[in-house]
Amino acid sequence: MKKNLYIYTLVTALFCIVTTSCDKSIEVTEQLTPLTPADIDADAGTWKMVFMSGAEQVAVPAPTAVESDAYKAELAAVKDAQSKLTKSQRNAIEYWSGGGVLRWNQFFRDLVSRYNLPPAPKADGTYPAPDAENPFGDPAFPFANPPYAARAYGYVSASMYDALKAAWHYKYLYNRAAPYTNDSGVEALVPETALPAYPSEDAVMSGVSAEMLKFLFPAALEDITLKAAEQRNAALWSGKATSSDISAGLALGKSVAALFIARGRTDGMGTAGGNKALWDGLAKNAEVRGDEPWRSLETPPRPPMLPLFAKVTPWIMTTENIVAIRPPAPPVRGSSEMDGEVEEVKWYSDNLTRERLAIVHKWADGAGTYSPPGHWNDIAAEYVRDANFSEVRSARLFALLNMAEQNAAIACWDAKFFYFNARPSQLDASIKTGTGVPNFPAYVSGHSTFSAAAAGMLSYFFPEGESYFKEQAEEAAMSRLYGAIHFRKDCMVGLDVGYDVADFMINNFAKIDGAD
Amino acid sequence: MRFLLSIERSLRRGLAGLVLLMVVISVKTSAQTTTDGLMMGKGLFCTGFMYTNDKWTDYWEGRLKRDNENIGSLTTQSLSWYGVYGITGKLNVIAMVPYVKKEASQGTLHSMQGIQDLSVAVKYNFLRLKSEKLLFRAFGVLNFSTPLSDYTPDFFPLSLGTHTTNLTPRLNAMLQMNQGWFVNGSAGYTFRSNTKLDRATYNDGLNFYNSNEVDMPNMFDLFVSAGYQKEALQVELNYVQQNTLGGGDIRRQDMPFVSNKMNAQRLGLLAMYYLPKPKNLAIRGSVHYTVNGRNVGQSTTYLAGILYTFKFSKAE
Repeated sequence: MKKNLYIYTLVTALFCIVTTSCDKSIEVTEQLTPLTPADIDADAGTWKMVFMSGAEQVAVPAPTAVESDAYKAELAAVKDAQSKLTKSQRNAIEYWSGGGVLRWNQFFRDLVSRYNLPPAPKADGTYPAPDAENPFGDPAFPFANPPYAARAYGYVSASMYDALKAAWHYKYLYNRAAPYTNDSGVEALVPETALPAYPSEDAVMSGVSAEMLKFLFPAALEDITLKAAEQRNAALWSGKATSSDISAGLALGKSVAALFIARGRTDGMGTAGGNKALWDGLAKNAEVRGDEPWRSLETPPRPPMLPLFAKVTPWIMTTENIVAIRPPAPPVRGSSEMDGEVEEVKWYSDNLTRERLAIVHKWADGAGTYSPPGHWNDIAAEYVRDANFSEVRSARLFALLNMAEQNAAIACWDAKFFYFNARPSQLDASIKTGTGVPNFPAYVSGHSTFSAAAAGMLSYFFPEGESYFKEQAEEAAMSRLYGAIHFRKDCMVGLDVGYDVADFMINNFAKIDGAD
Repeated sequence: MRFLLSIERSLRRGLAGLVLLMVVISVKTSAQTTTDGLMMGKGLFCTGFMYTNDKWTDYWEGRLKRDNENIGSLTTQSLSWYGVYGITGKLNVIAMVPYVKKEASQGTLHSMQGIQDLSVAVKYNFLRLKSEKLLFRAFGVLNFSTPLSDYTPDFFPLSLGTHTTNLTPRLNAMLQMNQGWFVNGSAGYTFRSNTKLDRATYNDGLNFYNSNEVDMPNMFDLFVSAGYQKEALQVELNYVQQNTLGGGDIRRQDMPFVSNKMNAQRLGLLAMYYLPKPKNLAIRGSVHYTVNGRNVGQSTTYLAGILYTFKFSKAE
C-alpha cells in the first residue's frame, strides 16, 4: 500500500504541474495602448503629397452645421449606440484605439503571410500563373512574393498617407469638432484630442485601405470588408465621429484609393512575369558577359520570379534613378574571385551551427511569411507605437518606409535580372542550405537590399535607433550567407544598394515634405 | 486508487466485460517509448540499442496526397539507447534517448542530426486477474519526455522533432491465453508544452501570430495488437493511430509547420526473440507502414534492436 501511495502522489503531482501550466494560448494581435498623440499635426494638410496633385484633388463637401437638426439627430444616434454597447463592441473600440495606421499595418502583414505561397507544379511539370480573375483558384491570387509584397505595402501605405493628408486639410478647413466635444452627453471612450472630426480619419483609413487591399488581395474580400466596417463602427461608438463624419471620410478614402488603383493598373506589374523568349534572352545576356546563367534549382524548373519587376514604376524615384544605382557586375564563374566566394559559402554550408541556423531562420521570411518588407514593418511598428505619433505622422513613416521597400525591390530586381547570375548551389551542388533557395538570380541579395533600405529610413525617423537598425540589417544580410543561399558579395553590395535607395528617399522626399 | 478499484470490480463481473474494456481502454505505447503488456521482474535491467529507418516519398498536404521533387524521399534514421528496469515485478521504469538524422534525397535543404528527446516512463501493473486459461493484466503508464538538445522545431520536414516537453498518461491492458496468444491495447493522451521558434511571427495555417511561441495541440493515440508471446518469442500484428487534437493543415505548396494537425494510421508487424545463446540476449525487429495520414509522410519504418538483460538482485 505504501508503494501505491507513492505512485498516487507522483501521478497527482505531475498532473498538477500539467494542468496548472496549461494556459498555452498565444495572443494573436499586437498589444497597443490607446493612442494619445504627442502632437496632432494640425498642419499635415499642407505636407507634400506623394501621388495626389493636391489636398483638394478629391472634393469633400462642407458638413452640416453643428446647430442643425440633422447633426443633432446624428449626435442622438451616437448617444443611443453608446447606451447599449456590447462587450464585443467595446472590444472593437479598444482594438482600434491603439491606432488605425498600426492596426492596418498589422493586417497587411497578416494578408501577405496568407498569400505568400508559390503555385504548386502541375502534373505535366509546368506551373500555373496566379490569376487575378480567379483569385480563389489553385493557385490562389496573388502569390505575395517579396516584390509583390513590397509593392503591396508600398501602395497601401502611400495611398493611406495621401488620403490622411487630404483629410487633415478638410478637417481644418471645416473645423467641425468631435461629438464628445460638441455634446457633453456623448462619452469619449478613447483619449480626447482637439482634432476636428469631419471627415473622420478612421473612415478615411477604412475606405482607402479596404479598396487598396481588395485590389491587391481580392480573395480576402470578406476579412477586409469586415475589418474596415469595424473601424468605422468603432469610431462612432467611441464618440469620435458621427455618421456624416464617417460617410464623408469613407467617400474620401475610396476616391483616393481609386487614384492609386488606376496607377497600380498601369505601373508595369501586369507584365512583370515576362515570357519564355524573355527568359532565354536574359540567359543569353549572362553568357555574353562570360558568366553561367541562372537556372531554377527547383524540380520541375520554375520560371524566374517576376523578371520584369525592375520596370515597375517606383515611388519618388524614376526608373532612370534606379538604373543609376545599379551596382557593378558580379565576378563570373571560374574567376578566382568567384571561386573564393563559392568556397566561403561551401564552408558555411558544411559548418551550419545551431547559432547561425537561428539567425538564418530569424530572417528567412520566406514562403508563407509576411516577407522581408513585412519584417521591417514589424520592427517599425514597435517604434511607431512608442513614439505616440498622430495617425497622419504614423502614416507618413509607413509610407516612406514602404515606398523605399518597393523601390528597393525594383533596384534589387534590376540588378538580379540585368546580371542573371547563379546561386551558390548551382555552381556547387554539394552546397546544402539552411532555408529554401529563392527562385531568382543571386546578385544582389533581396534581403540585404530590403533591410538596408528599411534601416536607412528608420534611422532617419528614429536616430536613436540607428545603430540597432543597421546592426539588424547587417545580420539579415549575413543570414543569407550563413544559410548558404547567397555569396558574401551579394549581401554586401545589396546593403549598399539599399542604403542608396534610402538616401534618395530621405533627400528627395522626407527632408522636403514639410513635415519635419 | 478508488477509480482503479472500481475498474477491478467491474472486470471481475466476467470475461465478456473484460474483452470489451480491453478494446476500449487497453493499449501499449509506441515502440519508441513504453512498450507492451509485459513487465521486467524485480531487479532485472534490460538495455540495448535500437536502430530505426523511416522513409517516405509521398505525403499528405492536408488531405491531399502528393510527392515533392524538391524533397525526393525523406529518410529519418535513429539510434536509440533503451533501458528498462524492474523496481518490482509490478513497477518498471523505462528510459530512452535517440540520436536522430533526417535527410532529403533531392533539393538543396540541409540535413539535420542530433540528440532528440529523453523519455522516461513509469509503468505500473495495477491489476492482475488470472483464471485457469487466461491472464488479464492492466497497466497505468506515465511517460515524460523532454528535448536534450536545442534542435530547431522550425524546419519541417527536416526538424528532429517538435521541441516540446510532453507528458503522456496511458492505460494498457493485455489478455493472454496460457498457450501464449494475446490481444493487447493501449490509449494515451499527450499534453504538449508550447514550442518556440527562432522568428518573431508565424502563420500556422489558421492564423497569423505576432509571437515566437506556438501553441502545440495535445495528442491522442491508440494502439491495438494481437499475437503470440511465450518464453523466448514474441510476435504480433499491430495498429497504431495518432491524432493531433487541433492545429492547421499544411497550406498549398507550403512547408509543414510544427503545430500542424499530424494524424496517422499505421499497421505493423513486430517480433522479439531471446537467443538461446548467449543467454539473456534478445533481438527485436519491426516494420510499420502508414496506411492513411494527414500532414505526415506515408512512411515505412523498419526497426532493429539488440537488448541484453542483467540481473541486479537475487530476488525474482
